[in-house]
Amino acid sequence: MNRGRTTLIWFGLAAFLVLAAVLSVAIGPSAFSAESLRAMLALRFMRLTLGIFAGGVLALVGATLQGLLQNPLVDPFTLGVASGAALGSAVALVLGRISSAFLPLGGFVGALVAIIAVYMLARVRGRVATNGLVLAGVIMSFLFSSLVMLVMILGHRTLGEAVYMMMGYLGAVFTQRSIWVFVVAMALGLAGCVWLWSYSRQLDIVSSSEETALSLGVDTERLTLAVFVISSVLVGLVVSFTGAISFVGLVVPHLVRMMLGPAHVRVLPGSFLAGAGVLLVSDVLARNVVPGGLPLSIVTALVGVPFFIYLLRRRL
Amino acid sequence: MARASLLFALALLVCGRPSRQKPAVRLRVVSLVPSVTEVIYAVGAERSLVGSTNQCDYPDAAKAVYKVGDFMDPDVERIVALGPGLVFATLPVQKRLVDKLTELKIPVYVSRPQNVEAVFREIDSVGTLLGVRARAEQLVAAMMARLESLPRHTDTPRVYVEISATPLMTAGGHTFINGLIERAGGRNVFEDALQEYPVIDAEMVAQRDPQAILLLHPDVKALDVTSRVGWSCISAVRAGRVYDDIDYDLFFRPGPRVVDGIVLLFRLLHPQGR
Amino acid sequence: MKAFEVSGLDFGYAAEDLFHGFNLVVEAGEFFGIIGPNGAGKSTLLRLLAGFLKPRKGRVLMLGEDIVQLPRRDIARAIGVVLQETFFTFDYTVEEVVMMGRNPHLGRFEQPRQVDRARVIEALDFVDAADLADKRINEVSSGEKQRVVLARALAQEPEMLLLDEATSHLDISHQQSIARILVRLNQQGRTIVMLSHDLNLASLYCSRVLLLNKGKQVVCDVPDRVITKEFIQSVYGVAPILTTHPVTGRPQILLPA
Repeated sequence: MNRGRTTLIWFGLAAFLVLAAVLSVAIGPSAFSAESLRAMLALRFMRLTLGIFAGGVLALVGATLQGLLQNPLVDPFTLGVASGAALGSAVALVLGRISSAFLPLGGFVGALVAIIAVYMLARVRGRVATNGLVLAGVIMSFLFSSLVMLVMILGHRTLGEAVYMMMGYLGAVFTQRSIWVFVVAMALGLAGCVWLWSYSRQLDIVSSSEETALSLGVDTERLTLAVFVISSVLVGLVVSFTGAISFVGLVVPHLVRMMLGPAHVRVLPGSFLAGAGVLLVSDVLARNVVPGGLPLSIVTALVGVPFFIYLLRRRL
Repeated sequence: MARASLLFALALLVCGRPSRQKPAVRLRVVSLVPSVTEVIYAVGAERSLVGSTNQCDYPDAAKAVYKVGDFMDPDVERIVALGPGLVFATLPVQKRLVDKLTELKIPVYVSRPQNVEAVFREIDSVGTLLGVRARAEQLVAAMMARLESLPRHTDTPRVYVEISATPLMTAGGHTFINGLIERAGGRNVFEDALQEYPVIDAEMVAQRDPQAILLLHPDVKALDVTSRVGWSCISAVRAGRVYDDIDYDLFFRPGPRVVDGIVLLFRLLHPQGR
Repeated sequence: MKAFEVSGLDFGYAAEDLFHGFNLVVEAGEFFGIIGPNGAGKSTLLRLLAGFLKPRKGRVLMLGEDIVQLPRRDIARAIGVVLQETFFTFDYTVEEVVMMGRNPHLGRFEQPRQVDRARVIEALDFVDAADLADKRINEVSSGEKQRVVLARALAQEPEMLLLDEATSHLDISHQQSIARILVRLNQQGRTIVMLSHDLNLASLYCSRVLLLNKGKQVVCDVPDRVITKEFIQSVYGVAPILTTHPVTGRPQILLPA
């Protein structure tokens, strides 16, 4: 890989993110006084941070899962992990107050249950085939989405709330106290991302076959467990604040691989940067294209689904 | 649709009576709408009520009435087993049920008042249907009088109504509660919204700068709202005019307590009083 | 020093075990061949030697240590495995693929160092694929891919190499080049255990051959005493015509018409 070209691409990714951030902060209703300007900026900055966190983490986890499961069609959304996290968060929401740390915990548990269920469903005689994974993921996604609806109804919530939990939004409100929950969550999230990044070489190796990985000294069981747990924590954290956002984790890693090659040591951080930028841009679109705004997943799905179909066809 | 059902039910009643005397058999009524249940009690016709939903909980006596299921999904069989002469339902939530009952040729009155005037008309209709017209008219007159007696107000404060915080959701201009706010001398800052219950974000609220905030969900207390990051510049927060612990039924049930709701709102919005 | 020692092995995939009380010794520095019909258990045995599978009963010792107790990294520093068909989900470069062989020598947070890059180049040179270094792995031919995978195994700096039908699907020029590389490796002192369907190939290169049938050892000896009419007929049900290789003198089989 040409050194010069790589550097240029990294620069481009960073610039894209900065641009998206500026857009995200600049576009929106205007402030009416100097004092309110500070408040507006604070609100926009929170939205920005949430967007970077969500987009970056979802894309990085998507890239990681694609490597671990040797399958370019998976991401937290298609594997049903995001829906599981949404279910966990919904249960936590109905049971506790929203400013509590319950929500991220619920999200983590939901995500973990989902990823384990999908993996077990898809395993046939110790091997996990593509079709099995995608199918299991779709089934789980349906199941969990329905359960989210059920939980929300039982908890006397409006359907609108249920929809947004499953379709994603960046407008979460924080009190002076709950913002610390968010800060801690972000710190945990970043730590988790770095931890996953450290598995880059092993993820590269695993992308051949399980036995090859074993022969090269990779403890595949430990790796799978570690990746599943950390990914669930990360997805659970994100979804508990933003609801389930679709397809960011699927599309972005592919774009990054096309630009930087498949080595995970580059793909993971590249996906984080690109994912953050893509999500911010999607959010700007979602808020401004239609009066009244759209749930995020509509925008990401409009781009993600055609891409998904294209990927499917290339493989078959 | 409501009018047609009403006429049908009325026709049935009128034609069913051979004389002008009080009927020997009282009309058996099932109410699937909590607000209508309240109306029935308020006009003193509760002896006709043979069935209601789990959510029909006011007044206290209503809790003891036989339950035919949940407001969202009442049990058709239980309703039919009661042999009702009239069923009160609402749309669009109970559409499937209404279709079913119509199929079974059970008279259905569809309750869907969109504003306070419609509530008055509905109380009249219910009273007529249940043979207590005079009581109904009295009730309506009393409610109207209470509304009239509200003092003049000099200002029309901007109001933000919060239906949910996850995500932030409010009521638009075409909702019942919007009408209540207007009646109470306030202005819903989101009355221009296209949707009934739009999802919004904090910036929109900040930009519209409400002077009073009503929390109509149990998730947050007033203290949580005033401590929200970025909300400190909003007039309502600065003045401490964030109200929680409100009986939502007063605003969401288009029934006899609607005026209680308006009066309560009025007092919150115009604390200076007379 | 015994490279591999299998004693009292019981193993099977299904309810019925394939191996019962199986024993085997492979000495260090041998070029050891394993042959047998389909279902004989060759692949399974290889996977047991590599530590991919755990014996139900009995032990597999590698350089005197129980392979089941050893951590993966340690096994990977001693044994390189080359499997039949290698599939790459993502399109790494040849150099990146061979660098994966350095994994057992690198800590999780370590990046490849000078010495790693040197070993990778050496490995590619050894298999005569240095010019492929910058190509994408899914762009090279089957034969080239097999050499790259072999180079990856070499980059592990293993004492022993296990190969599973590594040449079956290649044309004869590639078969020969791989075979020659293996001979050179063996001359360096590395133990080679090779599974093959090709009886002639095994006979030509191996110092000892194990003929396996239905999980049982039929005979394990030098090729002259294994590639015989009687054994081949009894195991394969085919009566071969036996000749001798004009250069090496090893037994070779011709199919009857």
